Amino acid sequence: MLNYWILIGLLAASTYISRIIGIEIMAGREMNATLRLYFNYVPIGIISALIIKQIVIPMDGQLAISFPVLIGCLSTAITIKVLKMFLPSVMIGAILGWAARYCMS
Amino acid sequence: MDEKKVIIRTGFTEALPLAIAIAAYGLSYGVLAAQANFSLAGTVAMSLLVFSGSVQMVAVAMLTTGASLASVLFTSILLNLRNLLYGAALAEGLAPAKNWKWLLAFGVSDEPFVLGVSRFAKYGPDPLYFGTITGTFYAAWALSSLMGALIGNQIDPQKWGLDLAFPITFIALIIPSLKGKPVIATALTAVVIASGLEYLMPGNEFTIIITGILSPLAGLYLKRRSQNA
Repeated sequence: MLNYWILIGLLAASTYISRIIGIEIMAGREMNATLRLYFNYVPIGIISALIIKQIVIPMDGQLAISFPVLIGCLSTAITIKVLKMFLPSVMIGAILGWAARYCMS
Repeated sequence: MDEKKVIIRTGFTEALPLAIAIAAYGLSYGVLAAQANFSLAGTVAMSLLVFSGSVQMVAVAMLTTGASLASVLFTSILLNLRNLLYGAALAEGLAPAKNWKWLLAFGVSDEPFVLGVSRFAKYGPDPLYFGTITGTFYAAWALSSLMGALIGNQIDPQKWGLDLAFPITFIALIIPSLKGKPVIATALTAVVIASGLEYLMPGNEFTIIITGILSPLAGLYLKRRSQNA
């Protein structure tokens, strides 16, 4: 638990430093357009990787697809594309993923 | 005095719809943090001290998959790179705040950036407006995190399917932003790299960092190619 508190402190410090550097040091400087684009794409890459790590899970040294997670993700993707509402989409995805797990168990 | 009241009222009114959306994310974060074995105090403290949805969500998700503190920290630094852009763009609008800038800097993130930049473009520098919207978002984020943690602590994650909440929440976050070939290419490349790394080294903790560094290059390549065409 101590480690979690250390992590919270480090995350708070690094996040705040990134904010204040932007305001105090980067202000008025022309940033390279390529670097700007790169920064904008980084969160997409990280979040995509996190999703994959939840769908494809290691079991006994082999990779296995978690079908309840996959079904939950696909239904959430379709729902948010149609409804464009965050919370209902998450709830529908969770219910369908949970139902898939129940049916497969 | 009246002018200040008008600015505060305007800021609050304009921030409210986004604050509701932020509260929805906060609720999810609270549930997920409880699932990642964060205490109630730790969950809320992270919201109060870090105040960054993407960093907090990714941190708890990585901890759930067994990542080390060092890799969580490195990934959060990658995620925070865009704050440099936001801060630089907001600096002029916050300049009149003088030393209060150090407090207002806490609000440099996605939603305050969008509202702040649009306000400064119309009315010039306005630290009070920025402080109002940041305060509104901060309250929404902190309270909803607390509510989520209280809910998450009360129920069995497996039984209620809460373990599904991580990938589902991330899907709901990422799908609306998949607009344009470079962004889609970044996401697809990330899927390929992450799958490949997991295939070669199942369960390794560097997948997210390596994917986060490499996959944006695909988006950059497509963007450059479309600009040069």
